[in-house]
Amino acid sequence: MTEQTMQAAAAVKKRTKIAWKELLMKLVFILAAILFVAAVLTICIFIFAQAVPAVAEIGFFKFLFGSVWAPNNDVPSYGIATMIVGSCYITAGALIIGVPIGLLTAVFMARYCPRPLYRVMKPMTNILAGIPSIVYGYFGVCVMVPFIRRTFGGTGSSILTASVILGIMILPTIISVSENALRAVPKSYYEGALALGATKERAIIFTEVPAAKSGIMTSIILGLGRVIGETMAVVMIAGNQTAFPSSILDGVRTMTANIVLELGYATGLHRGALIATAAVLFVFILIITILVSLIRKKAK
Amino acid sequence: MKKILMAILCVAMACGIGVAAVGCGGEKMSDTIAVITRESGSGTRGAFIELTGVEQKNAEGKKVDRTVSTAEVANATSVVLQKVSDNPSAIGYISLGSLNDKVKAVPFEGVEATVANIESGEYTLSRPFNIAYKADNDNATLADFITFLKSTNVTETINNEGFIAPAATEAYTKPATAPTEELVINGSSSVHPLMEVLVEAYVEASGVEASKVKLSFNDSTQGMTGAMNGTYDLGMASRELSEDEAAALESYVLATDGIAVIVNKTNPIETISKEQLCNIYIGEVTKWSEIGVTVA
Repeated sequence: MTEQTMQAAAAVKKRTKIAWKELLMKLVFILAAILFVAAVLTICIFIFAQAVPAVAEIGFFKFLFGSVWAPNNDVPSYGIATMIVGSCYITAGALIIGVPIGLLTAVFMARYCPRPLYRVMKPMTNILAGIPSIVYGYFGVCVMVPFIRRTFGGTGSSILTASVILGIMILPTIISVSENALRAVPKSYYEGALALGATKERAIIFTEVPAAKSGIMTSIILGLGRVIGETMAVVMIAGNQTAFPSSILDGVRTMTANIVLELGYATGLHRGALIATAAVLFVFILIITILVSLIRKKAK
Repeated sequence: MKKILMAILCVAMACGIGVAAVGCGGEKMSDTIAVITRESGSGTRGAFIELTGVEQKNAEGKKVDRTVSTAEVANATSVVLQKVSDNPSAIGYISLGSLNDKVKAVPFEGVEATVANIESGEYTLSRPFNIAYKADNDNATLADFITFLKSTNVTETINNEGFIAPAATEAYTKPATAPTEELVINGSSSVHPLMEVLVEAYVEASGVEASKVKLSFNDSTQGMTGAMNGTYDLGMASRELSEDEAAALESYVLATDGIAVIVNKTNPIETISKEQLCNIYIGEVTKWSEIGVTVA
């Protein structure tokens, strides 16, 4: 055998080896994707298989629009309208508090922050992201609840308190995702704006932020998802009343709080109603996701 | 530039500390009652609404929990304690065994919430801690454990935990050979802490291996259901047994637990009647002044 043929043979061998590796990796990726899809589907099936019969028994409209939640009465009543309203209020409140602060902090960190301060602030946002929600809840009970009560009156466990705590909770998500989006904007946008005579602030607010819109939207959606699904912190500070609130100083029960409060005790239809609450939550998140993708498409 | 930033940072931190300091200051009681209740399904709530008449039968004879929907729902005894000790105008209820000196227990119908008063029957806000098992369960460990629980050996332990033990006459004698069968206990989370202590005492007294006794908790109803279908050897309930439960199971009142009505320490209230308490929890009374408590 000549040296050339030997080399050629080795190359072929190498190539088949690579092909094998590629195939293997492809399989690994596919497997991961299948596992992920299977997980989502299993959860969906689990929730809806139990929720649908329960809702059918209660009555769709009675369940969604009924305002009386009294599962332990001899004639039980399962209406989650107050909780849907509660979840909406708290989510909106948390976004109103969290988004402006988070977005402005992201702008600061991406464009204004001096190096030494950045080296402190970056880990701080990561720490904030790592704090367990029960700790936020405890902080809320011990500090925010008395503070709100003293300052604004009421019992302190209210929409406002929950909004503030959840607003703080979503800060790290909004800050880090928005910051990355802002940093990804090409330098030429900023330079172009300056060249046209814009000040630094104008250049950032009117060219860079709009350019990073998609990333900022993503950060808000991620934050929204966290707020609407948050449970442990909310259950400790929102009051959990099953009544329509008349002001932001009244307490509400969110859908998640309802599930965690009563699932341990629930049996039969009560349990079904709680899982149906989870299904409603699920549909909510689905609707939000679809709406956002529609908005994005339109924007493009 | 850096100096300015540092200065801003310092001011911000000072503000933060200032807010925290203000937060620590005293707070005046407001006339509006902040009603705190437990989640429906909780044994304490079940006992409370039954004993105070908050739960009532309607015209068709169906039980209705009339707890006012604006009452704040706390998901644990510790949360009730925290909220009442923080809020001067709050009222709540907890198990007497969990009472501490951060809150004030209100005398019910003029009777102090003490173990002695529950024993004498004067303090009527109390509930039984039941244990229940199948009569035909031939688990040797179960039989021995029941003998232990009914003996004089546990009286002191139960009383030390803040509950009231029933009168017992016989002392427990250690069996010649310790039973080796596994004993599964489950049920009310209110009974669980007491049972934990009792199991510990039992293991020591009988020589049964600690790993043979499996103690866990969920709630009264699940405990009774599990005892009936054989999932658990022994069920715990912090309430009276329902009719079908009582028909299927042997039960024994392990201890009696009082429910303490608690208010903030600054609240001047001296006594509360069953009617007043009921009216507060169904929302008929919303002001402290309506039940004769003057707000300073």
